[in-house]
Parts: sequence; structure tokens; C-alpha cells
Amino acid sequence: MSGAFAGLRSVAAQVAAEGTDPHQLAAIVAFSAQPRSHPDALRRRDRDGDRTGPIAARVAALAGPPTATTSPVAARLLGAWRGDAVRVALVGDPAYPRCLAEGWPELDPPVWLAWRGQAPGHDPGVAIVGARRATSYGSGIAAWLAEAVTDAGVRVVSGGATGIDAAAHGATVGRPGGTTVVLGCGHRVDYPRSHARAGGLFDQLLEDGGTLVSEALPHQPPRAHQIRSRNRIVAGLAAAVVVVEGGERSGSLLTAGAAAERGRAVLAVPGDVRAPGSAAPHRLLAEGAGPCCSPAQLLESLGASPSRTQPSGDTTAVADGQARPGAAAPADGAAGGGATGVTTLPPTVHAALVRAWPRPVRLEDLASTAQVPVGGLLAALTRATVNGEIAEAADGIRLRRAPPDVG
Amino acid sequence: MSGAHGVLALVHAVALVGLTPHRVRIECSRATGLPGMRLVGLPDTAVREAEDRIRTAIQRSGLRWPQERIVINLAPADLPKVGSGFDLPLAIGVLAATEQIPAASLAGLCACGEVGLDGSIRPVPGTLPTAVGARDLRTGRLFVAEAAAGEAALVTDLEVVGVRDLTEVVALLRGDRLPRESLPTPTEVPASTLDLRDVRGQPVARRTVEIAAAGGHHLLLVGPPGCGKTMLARRLHALLPPLEMDQALEVAAIHSVAGERAPDAPLSLAPPLREPHHSISAAGLIGGGSGIARPGELALAHRGVLLLDELLETPRWILDALRQPLERGEITITRARSRVRYPSRVLFVAATNPCPCGHLGDPRRACTCRPDRIERYRARLSGPLLDRIDLHIEVQPVDRRQLAGAADGESTAVVAARVLEARQRGAERWGAGMLARDLQDHQLRAGCSGRAMSTLVRAIDGLALSARAFDRTLRVARTIADLEAVEVIAPEHVEEALAYRLSAPVGV
Repeated sequence: MSGAFAGLRSVAAQVAAEGTDPHQLAAIVAFSAQPRSHPDALRRRDRDGDRTGPIAARVAALAGPPTATTSPVAARLLGAWRGDAVRVALVGDPAYPRCLAEGWPELDPPVWLAWRGQAPGHDPGVAIVGARRATSYGSGIAAWLAEAVTDAGVRVVSGGATGIDAAAHGATVGRPGGTTVVLGCGHRVDYPRSHARAGGLFDQLLEDGGTLVSEALPHQPPRAHQIRSRNRIVAGLAAAVVVVEGGERSGSLLTAGAAAERGRAVLAVPGDVRAPGSAAPHRLLAEGAGPCCSPAQLLESLGASPSRTQPSGDTTAVADGQARPGAAAPADGAAGGGATGVTTLPPTVHAALVRAWPRPVRLEDLASTAQVPVGGLLAALTRATVNGEIAEAADGIRLRRAPPDVG
Repeated sequence: MSGAHGVLALVHAVALVGLTPHRVRIECSRATGLPGMRLVGLPDTAVREAEDRIRTAIQRSGLRWPQERIVINLAPADLPKVGSGFDLPLAIGVLAATEQIPAASLAGLCACGEVGLDGSIRPVPGTLPTAVGARDLRTGRLFVAEAAAGEAALVTDLEVVGVRDLTEVVALLRGDRLPRESLPTPTEVPASTLDLRDVRGQPVARRTVEIAAAGGHHLLLVGPPGCGKTMLARRLHALLPPLEMDQALEVAAIHSVAGERAPDAPLSLAPPLREPHHSISAAGLIGGGSGIARPGELALAHRGVLLLDELLETPRWILDALRQPLERGEITITRARSRVRYPSRVLFVAATNPCPCGHLGDPRRACTCRPDRIERYRARLSGPLLDRIDLHIEVQPVDRRQLAGAADGESTAVVAARVLEARQRGAERWGAGMLARDLQDHQLRAGCSGRAMSTLVRAIDGLALSARAFDRTLRVARTIADLEAVEVIAPEHVEEALAYRLSAPVGV
């Protein structure tokens, strides 16, 4: 019995992040690995029990001594984490994000947090969330906000799903700072597959200082309830939550609710009144969420949150507030080559895309009105896609970056 | 030839295994034994039944059916003989064996036709490939039903004799009458009523169709219902240049074997267009059936267009059966007793909805599919078969204003002229009949500028495309260069070629 536990402890020591006691981690993982037990049970016990002393110690005590039968399973789980270079911190430990630990145990922070890549850090970021079934409009807005947030030195947090989440995460690629992805499954599960494959979005994010966090055991599949409950982690890691797009019963509403519970700011991006994809933000607006019509508005809502490396362009945007047309060009425009001057697109095409932004223009409409031969147009569009100037989706083509005359 | 048992009559016939002709020697002799006919040498049921047909026909034609045993050997004995086309040579053999016609008249004679009870000779499927076989095997002149004589006469260097009934056959072979001259059926290019001008708006789709026609590239059309996918595919067919004479014969031969061709129909120079329903079986698509496999839709579309609508409704394994024939340009079907090869150089056009509900990206109606279902649906749009399709485009519905407006694009005649020119340019370079679709890796690279190549490498990297996109893009770029009468593939050709791929299902 004790031999198995000793083995467990030595594996735990290799995944335990700074300040986390391998004994406690091993005990809790062993507890969670038992059939029909769940780390949440610990939280419930702690809520009902004696609430003095450090959180981590209380939790470990509640988990009780591991039994020999469950230890090999726990050792395997810990071994899987070790193999993937995952670090784990228990709630209350120094490496566990403080913004997330707030409200233990009532607000359900996860008992442990397992991450790949950079340590998640203690400062809250900005959560940009929304539907997987995103329109180009929603993706465009999400990317626009995410770029500005990253440039302001604030981490973008989202759920790593397709659609809005992917647009928000993706916009941070190539910018210093990194982004935090909150997975709805274990680290060993490739979900969503298109992001988790080699060289996919997750790999790119990790390369650029990103973090993939999860509260699940390594092999836990992405069940619906699990994906819903990870939304509270997204909210917990963010000072403000922006819901960009979402249907009537969108999971983003849960994220917004969790943020409100924690006293964090909730913002919503208005959309077309008839668009089914904007139902969730509109409902939030009706319930008192702040409107988010520009990155400036979003950064303003962060209030006390300091903008450490804010470039001058964004300062102007913040100062101008809602005065959108007059705002100066953001500094990032020139860097990416998309927004200002340096376009490889034919002028008529570029003008049409600028007029439409953040809405997409359908390819056939572009071709019908562009006054350029179709072949040349397609070649130019490919070039612009490779350069990252435009993005193409089923509903049309849009500029990736906001045009210079938009705040 | 005469001995104790009289004359040994010898008539030639052609047995088809698929399209491949085999010489069959029909030996006919009287023998001792009970009256009747004994047929040996792997005859199928239809050939066995010939006895009843020709006996009655001979009697009703005022000729004599022998009151003794007739033994007929179909040699080679191991080759399966199929169909009622053996009736006529069998009847001639019996008549010669019973000395009702001179045996000498059978020298260099080949025959093919079904005999009716009244003695009339009727055409059978496969007359055209039989005639080709008769010429290639040098069997001599060919007797066929008069109705099929025109079809057989399309084959040059072959004497074709059209006959109406057994009486006429006997008269011709006795030398009582001279054969009528058989004129080949006329050729025709049916003018298509489908004009590219009817496609309103959609300049990109029109351009894609032009490229597909010029390079023979397979095409995948993805779009919501009613956006004009089928309309485009049919107009693509109308853009293809008319067939050369030998190609038309090849096509007609397949249709003749399949019994899809009226024997007296004019020889069409229009490439075939086949649109099987998506519930088609594997045998229906690639060919099959018991005994000798019949050509499927794939072979029937040889040198033309095979259009499969609702691609994903057809089971995956049936679609995957298309893969190898599309690549090789021919299909080999092996059954227990025969191996058949049919040519299958088709332009494959597949059409499908963009998502399970069909309305993804449709501005007129919102899509109601769950994102993971779209992802799974899209995953089925990749794989080995789709890798062989060079052009993938999204067809977008045209709005009402454009539908009501005047036709704004070029007509089929204008575009077809460009297509023909591009094809000729390719044929001069690579040899007759070669299309950009068929080019090999080294041929493609040879005609590509260094700048174009580095553009391609960069783009494939930047767009995270698979390595398979490499050849596909170069093939399409080759066609685009040919359409623009440019010898070396330039970067912009590559860039345009890269645009013919599907975009992400949701905005990212």
C-alpha cells in the first residue's frame, strides 16, 4: 500500500508546479481517480466543513489517504501529465492563478489546474468568447478586440473552440504576451481536432508564449457538461468577459453569468438585430451588460487594470472613447501590412472590403463589381490570404484587421 | 472438306469480352445420332436457345432443317460466348453443313445478328465493337442485320453486308444476288441548347468551369440547394470540344456494348454526359454484372462528363471505387470467369451541399447545423477521392436582381473557342489527347518558372495546405497559363490556381 503510494508521490513530484506539495497532489489525484469520485466532492466537503488553515492543506486532508487499488490508476494519470510536460498546481498554491482562486469554495474554482506552456500567471486577462458557429462579422470583431487587448499587455482568455474563440486566440499569434486557452477536456484529448493537431492553432499559441489550461484528468473527453463548466474558469481568469456572438442558449451566457458572480465586468458586442448569432449578446445588453463597440470601450472597462505596454495608437483610441471616426490609426496597422496603405489587393477590391468591414463580402459579389479580370482577382486574393491580410469563410471574405479609419 | 459426314462448315464470329474482341470459329458438321443440334464450347443460355430460334427460322424461310444430328463447336472452347448475336453465324453454319449453300462461299465470312422466328435478322448490342473486332482480327467481310449495317460501316477497311432475313443471306451466298452497299450512319454534333450566358452573375464559377473544360480537371461544386450546381455542370459539358472520329467510335462502341445505343442512330460527336442518381450501386457506377461485366456509368461517360450530385449521399466505399479508374483512365473489372477492361477517361464533376442542412454561407437562409456536425460533414469532403479533384469551388446563390437582369457573361461559343485553343496548345506540347489533368510531376515542374515555384511553396506553407495540394495546384496553373497562351507558369497562375479550394466553414 505504502509502496504504491510512494511511487505515486515521485511522479507527482515531477508534475507539481511551484509550491505544490507532491503528497497532497498525489492524494487528490488518487482520490479523483477512484470510480464515481470527482474533485468537486472535495470542494463540497470543504464548503461544509471547518474552514480554517490554507486551502490546499484542507483539500488534501479531505481527500484522505489513497488506497492501494486506486494508486496505479493515479500513477498512470500523473505519468500522462508528466509525458506531456504538464504542470499542476493545487488551489491555494503559489503557482495557482490568484484571480481564479478567489471565491473558493463557493464559486467553484477547480481543485487543481493543469497547464501546458507558460504558467498562467496571477493577473486576470480579458475573456473574448462566443459561438463556435461564428459569422465572419463575429470573427472579425473578436480578432480586432483580441489584437488591441494583447497590444495593451493584457492576456486574452478563451475556450479554444472553433469560431469566435479561435479568432480571438488566433489574433494574438505573432504578438508578444501570449494567450490562455481553457480546455474543456484533458490534455491528452485532441479537441477540437483541427486545433489540436500537430502544427495547428494550439501548437502556434504554445510557441508564442500561450498557455493551455485544464481542470480535467488527462484522458477526460470533452463532455457537454465539462465544456459548460470550464466556462467558469474562463470567467475566473478574466477581469472582463466580452461575449461577441452566441445563440439564444449559448454557453457564452454561462461565462457571462460566472463573470457577474465574481464581480467581473461583462460586455457584449451588438450585432444585427435579426442575426440569430447575436441573440446572446443582445440578451446580455438587455440585462445590463456594457456594450462593446471598440477595443477602446473594452480597455476602458478594465478600469484599474493597468495597461503595461500600451502603444501610443491605442492610447489615442482609449482617450477618444466612442468617437470612432476621428480616432487615429492604431499602431499595429502598419506592422501587419494589412490595414494601412500596403495592400496587394486591387484598389477597387480593397475599397469594397474596407467599406464592408467587419462584414464579409461574398466572392462572387466581389468578382462582379471589382472591374478586374476574375483570374487576376483570385490570384490577388490568394496573395492577400497568404499575407494574412484577408480571411475567407463560407459567408465571404473580410479584412483580417480593422481598416485605419475605424477606432 | 467432304468425308463420311459431309461438309465441315466454318463461319467466323466475334465474341466480346467487354470491348476486347476475340475470334470465334464456328465449326458445323452433320453427325450420327438422333436428330437435333449439339452445341459445344461454353455457350451461354442465349446461345443455347439459338437452336430453337434458327430451326424455326430456317423452316419458315422455306429452307430445310436436317433430319440428322448437327454438331457445332464454338472454338476456342474456353472462351465464354454470350448473347444472341451468334444466331446468324450458327444458322449460316447449319445451312452450309447441310449443303444448302456452298461451303466455299463461307471463306472470309464473319457474321453477327439475332435471328427471329420468321427468319428476319435483328441487330444486337455491341455491333460496333464487333465490327472493329472483325476488322482487327481480319476475319473478312461482316454480315450484320441491315438495321445495324450503318453502325458497322462506320468502321473503315471492313466490308459490311447488311442483311434483312435468312432468305437474303442464302441468296447472297449462293451468288444469286449482289450485296447492297452499306453506308455509314451520318455523324452529328447535336447543338447544345445550354448556353453559358444563362448563368447570371457567378463570374468565379464561370471561370472555374472554363478551366475545368480546358484542362479536363475534375470539379467539386459545393453550394446550397438551388444555387445552380447542376446548371454549371451541364454547361461545362457543353464547353467540351467535339470528339474526334476515332474517339466518337470508341464512345459509341461502349454505348453499343451496354445496349444504350440505337443501332441506326447517327454517330454523335458530342462527348457523353452521364448523371446517375446518388443511390447508384457500385456495379452500376464502375460496371459489373454476372458473367462478363457490363460497362457502368463511369465507362459510359468515357471522354465526357460524369456528374454525381449529392456526392455525400453515395456511400463512401462506392465513391472510393472511382479513385483508381479516375487516375488510370480505365477500369478493369475482374470476375470469376472474365476480366474486362473499359476506358474511363472522364471529367468527373461532383456536387454537394456545404453542410448537412445545406444552407451554410447562404445569405437567404441561416444554417442550423451544429458546428461539430459541419466539421464531420466537411471531413467526409476530403480523402483519397477528393484529392484527385483538382478544382474545388463554392457556388453561391445568385440574388434576385441578377436573375432578373440581362445575361452579362460570355456565351458558350466564345468560351469553347478558348477552351479548344488551350487544349490544342497542351496537345502540341504533350502529345495528342493529353490534358493537364494527366500530367506527371516532372512534366509539370518543367514548365514552371522558379518564381512561380517559390510562390507555391510559400503559399502552401502559409495556408497550411497538405503536400497533395502541390501537384493539384500546378496542374490547374498549367491550364490557366494555357488559357492565357503563356508557355511558362508564372506566380499569378499559381496564385489563381490556389484559389480553387474550399474556405473554412466558419469565420476564423
